[in-house]
Amino acid sequence: MLLSLYTVLAAVAIGLLIAILTYRSRVRADFTIATAAVAFTLPSVALFGFLVSIVGSNLLAVFPVLVLYALLPIVRNGIVGLQSADPNVIDAARGMGVGGFRMLWQIRLPIAWPVILAGIRVSTQLTVGIVAIGAFVQKVGLGTYGYDALDNLGSVNTQNKAIVCILFVTLIALVFDAVFVVIRRFTTPRGARA
Amino acid sequence: MSVETPVQPDTETPTQDETLAVDFKSSHRRNVLAWRDLVTPALVALVLVGLYVDISRRDLDTIESNVLNRESLTDATLQHIYVSVSIAVLVMLVAVPAGILVTRRRTRRLAPAVLAVANVGQAAPSLGLLALVGIYAIGFWPVVLILTAYSALSVLRNTIVGLEGVDRGVLDAARGMGMSAAAVLMRVELPLAVPVIGAGARTALVLAVGTVPLGYALDAGGLGLPLFGAIKTNRPVVTFTIAVMIAALALLMDWAAGILQRAATPKGIR
Repeated sequence: MLLSLYTVLAAVAIGLLIAILTYRSRVRADFTIATAAVAFTLPSVALFGFLVSIVGSNLLAVFPVLVLYALLPIVRNGIVGLQSADPNVIDAARGMGVGGFRMLWQIRLPIAWPVILAGIRVSTQLTVGIVAIGAFVQKVGLGTYGYDALDNLGSVNTQNKAIVCILFVTLIALVFDAVFVVIRRFTTPRGARA
Repeated sequence: MSVETPVQPDTETPTQDETLAVDFKSSHRRNVLAWRDLVTPALVALVLVGLYVDISRRDLDTIESNVLNRESLTDATLQHIYVSVSIAVLVMLVAVPAGILVTRRRTRRLAPAVLAVANVGQAAPSLGLLALVGIYAIGFWPVVLILTAYSALSVLRNTIVGLEGVDRGVLDAARGMGMSAAAVLMRVELPLAVPVIGAGARTALVLAVGTVPLGYALDAGGLGLPLFGAIKTNRPVVTFTIAVMIAALALLMDWAAGILQRAATPKGIR
């Protein structure tokens, strides 16, 4: 569970940075989104396997894959959100003398925030699921129980382990989702609320 | 993935819309096939050839050569394709009618229930579900059924979004021409929703290709068994090969499905 949290935090930092660097130019933004989509097409199992064969069975083979997957929704929603600010609003802000950095920080980011948050939410859900799959590389998280069950089909504890895996992964996903509902309520600027 | 999450298109859809929009501008009438379609298979082929050359130069030990020979790899790949395509077809057969059902006026009330079922199906980890069902039944069908439940949501969501995205004016015009409700659905709504539904189907297919390996213990075939076997016997070369093959398979199937989707899209909105 902590691993999912770290992953999402890393992905948010990297994803927003990429979005901020690329949203201005249409070509760069399209290229970034297309690249992320291709990365997303690659199955997580394959990427885990790929990294395991290079760095061996440790966290180094898990974390980058997780971050890569978590990136796509954040980057895409970040770019789309930052581009979506009404040109009139931007114009008005410029007329009030708002410059480059403040434009981004005080105008574009707050307007894009609901969209970005939705992206982060999707990527959290994804991460919780993929962390479970990554357990075959390094025994971390609830996926361990899932693989234990799969490897010992028919033994006494198979059913218990499978149920532990299902229930707790679902539970964590729901808890994260609830957290996002709360975050959204408290961090969306009043004017941008639907 | 809470139940009351509003219906939103699947993650792949916006990119799809993006390309559609671009295509619209760049050429008025786009053929089903374009030169650009050759890029993906060419790159994949390049990687696979490189991999093949590299592997055939290496000295393989017994375990490695037992996995990495032409017959067993071909078998596993074909099974993998067979299982994934079965899942994708089954998903379409279940999720598209369900999506149609919940967008009709009379049965609209069912929408929350259907979406809730699909949401639970996707939120529950496929890994645990496979283990749980594996206690009672193994083989082709258990894996296919579980993974169908797992990937049905993307098609369901996109069917709903696609059908609801059809312009009201177009529907009015169709009705004004005297079309029955069924005719409007079959000849107007569904064709117009093909790009969105297709995007969902591609997501489901890619999901299937990626999760079939997790069914390795349920004897459904596919590339999962060699992959997990290689990890457990600590054979990085084999792990690497199989991982690249799974990735290549996912890219190629997505590519093929993309072409299929374009072929199914009516000319006017292609």
